[in-house]
Amino acid sequence: MREVVSGILVLIGAAFALIAGVGILRMPDLYTRMSATTKVATLGVGSTLLAVAVYFGELGVATRALAAIAFVFLTAPVAAHMIGRASYFVGVPMCPETAMDELRGHYDLRTHELESVCFPELERQLPGLQVGRLRIPDGAAVAGRTLAETELRQQYGVTVLAVCRGTFSIPNPDGDVRLLPGDELILIGPPERLDDAAEALK
Amino acid sequence: MSLADLILFAVLPAMSLAMVLAFVRLARGPTLPDRVVALDLIGTLGMGMIAAYAMARDLPVLVDVAIVLALLSFLGTVAFARYLERRVGP
Repeated sequence: MREVVSGILVLIGAAFALIAGVGILRMPDLYTRMSATTKVATLGVGSTLLAVAVYFGELGVATRALAAIAFVFLTAPVAAHMIGRASYFVGVPMCPETAMDELRGHYDLRTHELESVCFPELERQLPGLQVGRLRIPDGAAVAGRTLAETELRQQYGVTVLAVCRGTFSIPNPDGDVRLLPGDELILIGPPERLDDAAEALK
Repeated sequence: MSLADLILFAVLPAMSLAMVLAFVRLARGPTLPDRVVALDLIGTLGMGMIAAYAMARDLPVLVDVAIVLALLSFLGTVAFARYLERRVGP
């Protein structure tokens, strides 16, 4: 009976391992390959180790096998996340069929911090445009200038929807609104031009 | 067919084939992260093979070897990820 159960489990493990091997070879880009290998390999090894626990049936061996399963289940997602994150920063390309990159424009490429602010509803209504939130840092060159002087619309083609200052915000600001350090601009425009504007406002 | 036969003639060949496929990806790349992912998969598959062999040969000590291999594979992957990110980071 024990042999039958562990035989089935180890066969499941072998099938998962084979799927992982085919997946890493056939998937079109790194991110889909990782999705194939990490999930499938983890389940495959988990199933094989479970078979070990069932087959030997001793407390000592079963405990070690279960501890190994717990270890793999904890570390595989962490390792995969770190590799995926690093690859995104290195600029590993996604396959051409990729429809959407939701992280685009939300990562600060210098500090590697993720800004969680996003406006998904608005962006769904306006295909091709992105809404960005930009903080004027202390000592920025644009601090003290008016909006008209920054020439965001003329040079970068982005529109300022609002200026947030402390607890209040200035909606639809005029060109003579003066920018202060710590202000946050809500901008709308094409994603690549938003990146350019963000670079200019640093 | 005993469990040992099943493992020796079906499970281990299947896992070896998966490892060969992972090696093809390791050799082909095209980027460094691709190779790191392939290396990670090879480590995980090695762990599975050791666990399966432990059953086929009735050697429960090999489970410890599998645990150590998992640990090393994880550390290697994390180290590679840190190195990759630092190379482009601030």
